[in-house]
Amino acid sequence: MIESRLPDFMTALPEIWLAGAAMLLLLIGVFRGNGGTRMVSWLAVVAIAVAFVMVAVSPAEREVTFAGMFVSDSFAKFAKELVLIGSAATIIMSLGYIRREGMERFEFPILILTATVGMMLMVSANDLIALYLGLELQSLSLYVLAAFKRDSLRSTEAGLKYFVLGALSSGMLLYGCSLIYGFTGTTNFDSLTTLFQGDAQAGIGLVFGIVFLIAGLAFKISAVPFHMWTPDVYEGATTPITAFFAAAPKVAAMSLFVRVLISPLVGVAAQWQQVIVAIAIASMLLGAFAAIRQTNIKRLMAYSSIGHMGFALVGLAAGTTDGAQSVMTYLAIYMVMNLGTFAAILAMKVKGEMVENVSDLSGLARTQPMLAFVLAVFMFSLAGIPPLAGFFAKFYVFKAAIDAGLFTLAIVGVLASVVGAFYYIRIIKVMYFDEPGDAFDLPVAGELRLVMTVTGLFTLLFVVFPTPILAWAQGAAAALIP
Amino acid sequence: MEIGIGHYLTVGAILFTLGIFGIFLNRKNVIIILMSVELMLLAVNINLVGFSAFLNDLVGQVFAMFILTVAAAEAAIGLAILVVYFRNRGTIAVEDINLMKG
Amino acid sequence: MIYVLIVFLPALAAVLVGLLGRRLGDRASQLLTCLAVTASALLSLVVFFDIALGSGEPQRVQLLTWILSEELRVQWALYVDTLTAVMLVVVNVVSALVHWYSIGYMDHDPHKPRFMAYLSLFTFAMLMLVTADNLVQMFFGWEGVGLASYLLIGFWYEKPSANAAAIKAFVVNRVGDFGFALGIFGIFFVFGAVDFASIFQTAPNVAGKTWTFLGMQLDILTTLTMLLFVGAMGKSAQLFLHTWLPDAMEGPTPVSALIHAATMVTAGVFMVCRLSPVFEYAPDTLAVVTIIGASTAFFAATVGLVQNDIKRIVAYSTCSQLGYMFMAVGLSAYSAAMFHLFTHAFFKALLFLGSGAVIHALHDEQDIRRMGGLWSIMPLTGIMMWAGTLSLAGIPFFSGYYSKDLIVEVAFAGHGLVAQYAFWMALIGVFLTAFYSSRLMWMTFHGPARAEKSVMAHAHEPPLVMGIPLMILTLGAIAVGFFTHDYFTGHEMQEFWRESLLVLGDHDPIEAAHHAPLWFKFVPLGLAGAGIALSWYMYIRNPALPRRIAETNWPLYQFLLNKWYFDELYDLVFVRPARWLGRTLWKGGDGRIIDGFGPDGLAAMVGNLARRAGQAQTGYLYHYAFAMLIGIALIVTWFLVAG
Repeated sequence: MIESRLPDFMTALPEIWLAGAAMLLLLIGVFRGNGGTRMVSWLAVVAIAVAFVMVAVSPAEREVTFAGMFVSDSFAKFAKELVLIGSAATIIMSLGYIRREGMERFEFPILILTATVGMMLMVSANDLIALYLGLELQSLSLYVLAAFKRDSLRSTEAGLKYFVLGALSSGMLLYGCSLIYGFTGTTNFDSLTTLFQGDAQAGIGLVFGIVFLIAGLAFKISAVPFHMWTPDVYEGATTPITAFFAAAPKVAAMSLFVRVLISPLVGVAAQWQQVIVAIAIASMLLGAFAAIRQTNIKRLMAYSSIGHMGFALVGLAAGTTDGAQSVMTYLAIYMVMNLGTFAAILAMKVKGEMVENVSDLSGLARTQPMLAFVLAVFMFSLAGIPPLAGFFAKFYVFKAAIDAGLFTLAIVGVLASVVGAFYYIRIIKVMYFDEPGDAFDLPVAGELRLVMTVTGLFTLLFVVFPTPILAWAQGAAAALIP
Repeated sequence: MEIGIGHYLTVGAILFTLGIFGIFLNRKNVIIILMSVELMLLAVNINLVGFSAFLNDLVGQVFAMFILTVAAAEAAIGLAILVVYFRNRGTIAVEDINLMKG
Repeated sequence: MIYVLIVFLPALAAVLVGLLGRRLGDRASQLLTCLAVTASALLSLVVFFDIALGSGEPQRVQLLTWILSEELRVQWALYVDTLTAVMLVVVNVVSALVHWYSIGYMDHDPHKPRFMAYLSLFTFAMLMLVTADNLVQMFFGWEGVGLASYLLIGFWYEKPSANAAAIKAFVVNRVGDFGFALGIFGIFFVFGAVDFASIFQTAPNVAGKTWTFLGMQLDILTTLTMLLFVGAMGKSAQLFLHTWLPDAMEGPTPVSALIHAATMVTAGVFMVCRLSPVFEYAPDTLAVVTIIGASTAFFAATVGLVQNDIKRIVAYSTCSQLGYMFMAVGLSAYSAAMFHLFTHAFFKALLFLGSGAVIHALHDEQDIRRMGGLWSIMPLTGIMMWAGTLSLAGIPFFSGYYSKDLIVEVAFAGHGLVAQYAFWMALIGVFLTAFYSSRLMWMTFHGPARAEKSVMAHAHEPPLVMGIPLMILTLGAIAVGFFTHDYFTGHEMQEFWRESLLVLGDHDPIEAAHHAPLWFKFVPLGLAGAGIALSWYMYIRNPALPRRIAETNWPLYQFLLNKWYFDELYDLVFVRPARWLGRTLWKGGDGRIIDGFGPDGLAAMVGNLARRAGQAQTGYLYHYAFAMLIGIALIVTWFLVAG
């Protein structure tokens, strides 16, 4: 007689709630039609808020459920909270935009919700199957979101490119998973951790498996050389979607990357470390150099995010708990800075038309000093100028790398951030020293101002109150290695 | 001749490689890319099922089932995106998908 | 408290007026600075009577800790003993008078608050210098006065010559300061401290010890004191580093009076006197000091003979008198040097301010060949300037007589070749000084009027605000020597100076000088009288004579007129090679090599890489997929090869 027992659903309550809410909102949307988009959007924000509370009050101890597939620990909590904030901010920021651009369809917030559920599953994955399912739930939603403005050639091309390359990367990831499964006999992270603890040498089949897995994950965080989709998709997708791409999915994918490498694969760290170092260096340099000649600010932000993921990988390359902590800190700060920057980009509207060229910002300091100031703060922060938050983000990852003896990596990182500072500061130069062009439409929407204020204050004041974020990230990182 | 795990893996690897090559050697039609993606996923499934049988462990087959499901959803979404793209562009030749670059 | 007020009142005024000058307005700015410095001057007099003349003990006021780094401990502290009290009086009294005088002199200038703020800033820096309790604080004041001097010389920044002069003063002083800084480093290295008390305590133990530098055995104290003296040479415009002082006359005349006659330039003398407990153990340095001082006294006097710019003549005489002071210092007659510094401040400030009154009256005319005959128009100024001139020439019972004669006597009484040399130089200097200073007076106030009629018609006595400071200074030039010589160099000497100056051994040069034979007292007097008489003969009685002499001795005249060709020599030896080197390094080294490979090369490389990175992003799906495949292949290869 087979004994059967219900798994513990409470551990996955936020995900279940959000998935249920997404379906419920889908029903509401179907009944109300596109006219109800605004309501659905706010309800989605509410659902996310509720999920956030659920995550926040869930116990910090490690809990495993669904036959070891799903784990909830403070690392997952940290990542989920970031993801939820990112998603909620995206929905809020897109409210005005989708109405203006004639893409007010109720599926929009629901797709973001499903992507969010996918991301939450990703960061809670404790098994290759769960990893794959979370990743796909997220990716499939994102493909659709990228192509969401279906009458726009750019948007659909972005969706198509993203889809094809995403499918390729999923294939690679799966192939890696299958090899890992075949050569270890398990897909569970805990079992893998134990397995890798003893012998640090992995067989050739396993090496192939790990490489393909790393490649699949590197695609999601758009690390070089798996970054090629990023600029095109960022440019083609509508701006709120680009903001979303740059924020929550990056956090989720990077967290997953950290969990996979630090938790099950930490036993073979000596082998993957060099690969991560190489990827990090390539990403930082490409992000710094390729962005210099960009004229489209979204494309520029795409290269910027490639570079930033490279910096985050510096912390991961350290392969230590400190490294993981620095990566999580980096992600939190990175996400906030990006949301703020994209809120500012969303305010770039001339005579009702969205503009997205760097030159459109010229003389902004004179036409809209506050907006220019906020954007300047974000640019300085992204460039890593003290005392803004971005500086500390970089500082912690470099410190982790140096503590781990990765001096070359840290030096290349600093050099890359010097080169990278060029294009961030060029934007500031354009805003403050060039002759004003057409003034942006006023007033800037209240939602955008809200997002910019909150993120701007965070960026400015991190230097004063860094402790909560640091302690939070530390707890998250400590949960990775029992 | 005994057919061992190595043979299954070889078939899987060949199919997978075919799939990858199909993606980047093909310059004509995006549909072929979709087919190549399916090919890759099927290669993975052969791997998983082969391992599952070889290891006497069911997880591989469960994984394969999930992959089949997701692959279906993926194909549907891919085709949908392809359709909206075709409406805008009027072609689905891979070499014409080149609006954004640099 | 009183000491803190003395030092910081001018600072407060400088900051207030400097920052808020525009808002305060001209009048308020002038009054604020004048009152602050005047208050400071009155307090200085109180301190002088208490500490120098009365029985007050030397005071040390601890303000703040400045640097605490291992052995290096530097405090902000005010140290006031007799030496400092004398300097306080000199600095603050002259400064206060110059402040008031400036109200009248700068009447037409549009930047009055800035000028007053600079003056007060200078006063503050100078006070920091003289009240310093350690070498680092002294260096702070030293550089502060240098900065103020630079700002004030270049005050009329529209004039290229003023800017050039300011830069020259700054750069030449930098040479001296380099020596001074090295000296401070050396002292810290040897003594392990920079405060005077510790240095003085340890100095006897270091005396006679040597160290090896570049294979040479050098006496430690000689080396250190030589370095310090290089600093003093720069600040006090001694031979070889004197070239900035005449050019500094580009600044407004009150500045010349305050900074380049009475106070800043004497900082070098003060520094050596302050460090007398160290210098005393380095007889070789003292000999060098004597030689440099004597040579400067002679050199500057000869140049002063033929100059035609009224301020430059006074400037060279300052240079020459500073030479006298160093001569005295070198002969261990520190008190005589300080006494001469004290009296000199009065009569030289008087001469400068009087020249200023003349320049002011003649609408900025400075060439004495276009003056003359002013006696009838501004007799009061004439009388006052004559008082200053006679004092400078050392005519009995004027202030200068007491101090200058004493120095000559010290040289006379001294032993050895160096003292002999100093004596002859000093004697010739006395004659020359009397000659050129009275020449200035004859040319300016007497004889026919050579200025244009219209200018002469507007000439006038200075207004009261300029006149009263002149009168006070005249009193000083006439009487201060008579009333104070007993304290500075006479019977009360011991009680007056107490511990602030140190003279080693049983030979007190002052004592020896007092024992000079009676007939000798008349030698300098005779020479001075001869100088004045000769100049009268040449410039009043027989005005054609100078031209004839100049023509018959043309090379010599040119040599003197061009200031011994020092500027040209320096231009040839230092400036041009330096400029050539600079140009070469700039065009070749910096432009071609560093910029070429560095900034420009890097920028080009970055641009290049950026273009390539962009080109790699072709937009084609199959290229993207291929890149991913290549990436995976590379990583696998890496794993297989390295792992």
